[in-house]
Amino acid sequence: MFETLKKLFTPAQALEPSEVRDFLDKHKTGTYTLLDVRQPSEYKREHIPGATLIPLPQLGDAFDQLNPEKPVIVY
Amino acid sequence: MYNLSGGIKAWEGQVAEGPVELNMDMVRGDETPVEVIRLAYGMEHSLGEFYKAAKSTAGDTEVAGLLATLSDVENKHKAYLIELGKSIDPLGTSAEKLETEVASTTLEGGFDSAEFLQRNEKFMKSIPDLLDLSMMVETQALDLYVRFAGKIENDQAKQVLYKIADEEKGHLAALGELRNARA
Repeated sequence: MFETLKKLFTPAQALEPSEVRDFLDKHKTGTYTLLDVRQPSEYKREHIPGATLIPLPQLGDAFDQLNPEKPVIVY
Repeated sequence: MYNLSGGIKAWEGQVAEGPVELNMDMVRGDETPVEVIRLAYGMEHSLGEFYKAAKSTAGDTEVAGLLATLSDVENKHKAYLIELGKSIDPLGTSAEKLETEVASTTLEGGFDSAEFLQRNEKFMKSIPDLLDLSMMVETQALDLYVRFAGKIENDQAKQVLYKIADEEKGHLAALGELRNARA
């Protein structure tokens, strides 16, 4: 559990939108997690297709939903 | 861990819409891989039928041509699903079986096909509009398949959904290139 938390809260590397698009194009679906940490109303309005919604206040409780072996792209 | 610089406001790609629960009642969570293929086949079939129906009413020959191409692509998706199904359950899967089981009126992106055709008639008048509509539907489909995978417990069924989502990604990329050529 500690290793999971450590991986999840390591400072994120910023990627430009074009770099994220490249990443998503080059990696098979299911091999990464695209994480939306906004509120449900914001997700409903628009979200990047395939994003998993875990609002930021709930992230600590829901961390076990994330696979620490998969790269995470968060927005 | 990576962070999308600028957040979704900086995102220039396709976006999906709707709540997390949208169309999630289409899956129970305990589907087998073959049941997932059957579901996806029904959705691809409905979209193909929509394109065929739209083509029959298209006044513009170029638009009609594109609709025929889009319908063909859905047939290719169906053929892919048949092969995937045969690789998992060789004796239980066939084109005939899947065709007879198809009873879905729900389009690939989770829309009712007849209502969708009526609502989006205006998009049938020009190639750019039709491409925009098609990209919207394929984007919703991609999103839906990944959300299904999040609910479904069977790992092989999840992998089937991820494979189908990758097919949609490829289709979207091709549509995007067509659309950019018309910008």
